[in-house]
Amino acid sequence: MIANAVVETDSDEEFIEEIEKAQNALPKKINANPKTVEKGLAKLVLTLIELIRKLLEKQAMRRVEAGSLSDEEIERVGETLMKLENKMEELKEIFGLKDEELNLNLGPLGDLL
Amino acid sequence: MKLYLYGIINSSDQIKKSIYGLEGSNVYNIPFCDIGAVVSEIEKPIQDVTEGAVLGHEAVVEKLMANFDVLPARFQTIIDGRDSLLSMMQSYYRDFKGNLERFHNKCEFGIKVIWPADKVKANILKVLKKEEQKILESDNSSSKRFIKKKFEGYKIDIEFEAKADKFIKVMDIFFSRFAAEKKLEKLRTKNLLLDAVYLVEKDRENDFREAFGHIKSGPLGLKYLFSGPWPPYNFVVLSKKPDLLRDSEQADLFGKVTQCQALVGVGSI
Repeated sequence: MIANAVVETDSDEEFIEEIEKAQNALPKKINANPKTVEKGLAKLVLTLIELIRKLLEKQAMRRVEAGSLSDEEIERVGETLMKLENKMEELKEIFGLKDEELNLNLGPLGDLL
Repeated sequence: MKLYLYGIINSSDQIKKSIYGLEGSNVYNIPFCDIGAVVSEIEKPIQDVTEGAVLGHEAVVEKLMANFDVLPARFQTIIDGRDSLLSMMQSYYRDFKGNLERFHNKCEFGIKVIWPADKVKANILKVLKKEEQKILESDNSSSKRFIKKKFEGYKIDIEFEAKADKFIKVMDIFFSRFAAEKKLEKLRTKNLLLDAVYLVEKDRENDFREAFGHIKSGPLGLKYLFSGPWPPYNFVVLSKKPDLLRDSEQADLFGKVTQCQALVGVGSI
């Protein structure tokens, strides 16, 4: 039926799997029907918290790498980040969300996380 | 009667060869100035998205490609009627003309590359372990051990991204030589190293294919998927979003038809 287009690969199953993963990870819209509105909102809020948490973590790693944190500061930062991560895990469990669900597609800008 | 839109072409003439579209309906051109909208009549929106329907849409677009420059419409683009269609053509005439001129005598090729992400990360970790940076005086508390683990992950991620950039750069040097435009997406998943589309002039198709052959047989040891020639689904640029379509989900009239391409891929492998 297709006139000219061809698809050539030696690893068709692997590509199908990866393309499906890439597409399924990012829902095109927030599911806001009455039954799932709570989960939809939680997902949005947790995505934003996750973004901030990752930014904090990255900034901390940069400072660790630069050697600009004292031993005590590392201890404090470590404890904070660890508690934040644990709290996020709890919230994800409460709302039945997986890591890969916490993302937003920003169109031409790409994915948020 | 609703109209099912296959694409916009750079001609206002009637299509000489008979083309049959979805549900076996006759495909014809509705002219507007010097361009046209290629449609067929349809009773109601397609309820079930089947592989046959997607391939049917693609087949019509490819037949058009043989004789015209085409702006392919997204699968399931349905317009209320002739008046709505003409109104849309009027609103977007400049955009359509501009895109058609950009696409003159060009087609799209897709290249996807998979790399063994876990193996790449394991190798990075091996190297990092050898030249480990001492970040802590001691790691006798859980919070310090947490930081140490996070720091290891952070370093691996940086190296992983840098390696991905290097591989992509090497491949892109080959392909870009024969492409007028390109869009590259890095690491859509950890294994999908590259998801790229290139807009290639039709008389450089063979050069582009040869470049792919070189890369594929080279020493990088990756897995490749090559597809095309496609209509330029991924290169259409509109200055505003169409608002005349019946289904709000179809607002992205000329958006990426990944579903179509994926299904075609499945059917053709």
